[in-house]
Amino acid sequence: MSSKEEPVSHSRRRLIRNGMQVTLAISLIGIAGRTVLKSASDDLVWQLDPFKCVQCGRCAKECVMSPSAVKCVHAYALCGYCDLCGGYLKPDPNARTTAAENQLCPTAAIKRKYIEDPYFEYVIDEKLCIGCGKCVAGCTSFGNGSLHLQVRHDLCRNCNECAIARVCPSEAFSRVPSHKPYLIKGDFKKG
Amino acid sequence: MNRKLINGLLILIAIAIVVIISTDFIGNKAGQNKSNPYEYNIEAFKQVDSAKVLYNEVTTFPVLADQLSGIAVSDSSVVVAAGNKLLQFNFIGEEIFRKPIIDTATCITMDGKKNVWIGMRHFVAAYDLNGTLIKRWKSFDERSVITSLAVSGDQIFVADAGNRVVYKCNRDGLIIARIGEKNEQKGVPGYVIPSPYFDLAIDNSGFLWVVNPGRQSLENYNADGSLRTSWGVAGMKIEGFSGCCNPAQMTIMDDNSFVTSEKGMPRIKLYGQHGELKGIVAPPDLFDAGSYYAPDVAVDASNKIYALDFARKQVRIFKMK
Repeated sequence: MSSKEEPVSHSRRRLIRNGMQVTLAISLIGIAGRTVLKSASDDLVWQLDPFKCVQCGRCAKECVMSPSAVKCVHAYALCGYCDLCGGYLKPDPNARTTAAENQLCPTAAIKRKYIEDPYFEYVIDEKLCIGCGKCVAGCTSFGNGSLHLQVRHDLCRNCNECAIARVCPSEAFSRVPSHKPYLIKGDFKKG
Repeated sequence: MNRKLINGLLILIAIAIVVIISTDFIGNKAGQNKSNPYEYNIEAFKQVDSAKVLYNEVTTFPVLADQLSGIAVSDSSVVVAAGNKLLQFNFIGEEIFRKPIIDTATCITMDGKKNVWIGMRHFVAAYDLNGTLIKRWKSFDERSVITSLAVSGDQIFVADAGNRVVYKCNRDGLIIARIGEKNEQKGVPGYVIPSPYFDLAIDNSGFLWVVNPGRQSLENYNADGSLRTSWGVAGMKIEGFSGCCNPAQMTIMDDNSFVTSEKGMPRIKLYGQHGELKGIVAPPDLFDAGSYYAPDVAVDASNKIYALDFARKQVRIFKMK
């Protein structure tokens, strides 16, 4: 007498094999789906809106990076190339020169270069800039506001909770799409 | 005994830790005001000698509009250009009318015939005192940014910040002369205009005065466009014009005194006809903290000074003490 029933050990083996195949299939589908979703959606990075920035100085102090990943950037198209630059010179300077006592920047990170009478070009040395925003305050008050702060993404760790965003008094920080990571003045309008 | 002491100490330490952590957490929250070691501090320059303040603020009235552009005063009313509207007020601030204008205004003035001349970005339009359009000039050019107008008889002077020139025009907008362009032979240094602040006015003798904002000076021109004289000193101190583009606004009184208004650290001052500081009309502490814009200024027949405060959206009237 022959029996068509499989032995119990065979049935268990098939169950385990089938289970492994289903698990593998689900994993593969999951990974593929996640890859597709990730490529379709955009990563987000931290950036600050220069029109909301109040130059409180916290970008220099609160960033986990030292010096801060926030740097002053210069929108040259907006700059007036002023001789009496509110972002470069201290209020009421002794003279309009590059002498240290006349410079507003605490780290001398702005370079002043003569173009032609009475125009000067101002260039930020980002290695020296600590993101304090002092020059931004001067430029915003007395100039065109061409100097402004931005998070530099080659330096930013893109923390889950940005230490500066947490304390920013004007809520200028937000996450922006990584394909458009900068909010440069002149490229976009207030509001 | 020892054990109780240790327990007590541990509890005290635990409480201290909780207090420190909570204070730090609450103190560091967004919106909290903390001292800024990198503060751009100009407070010292906002302090003025009260003996130098020659005017009192006597009246204030609101201008209910989204965008303010400029102010002018006649012997019967105050007119304000507010975006694409023209508003007329009586002297106690009651709104007489508000009428639409054909484009967004950048500046405004009135002539002796009580016509209202309004500068738009590229062109000029004239309205009667009822707000009816009577004239619209052709556009100057695409680069034009009209920032100020002044009328002297049948001549209209137009400040074009975009092209760094003053046009002398007839009433139909025909350019008769271009004034102030850089000309080394005539000794004209040219206008330095870092931002769209470029004001002009006509004095009691009919001479044109133009602000050269990048040089923090006022320049006076002959009828042929040659430079006659200039004055002005840069500086945060009360005698000077602070920073770039100042004085951002100005007007001239009957006795040829100058009323100047500055941006960055808003303040309104009175200078004599040779540029000597006579006194202060409105010191910086009369303006809101964080306010950058220079109020537009106008003067009436009784030498009261009208300031259009862009931050507060008010007309503020100052009378000599």
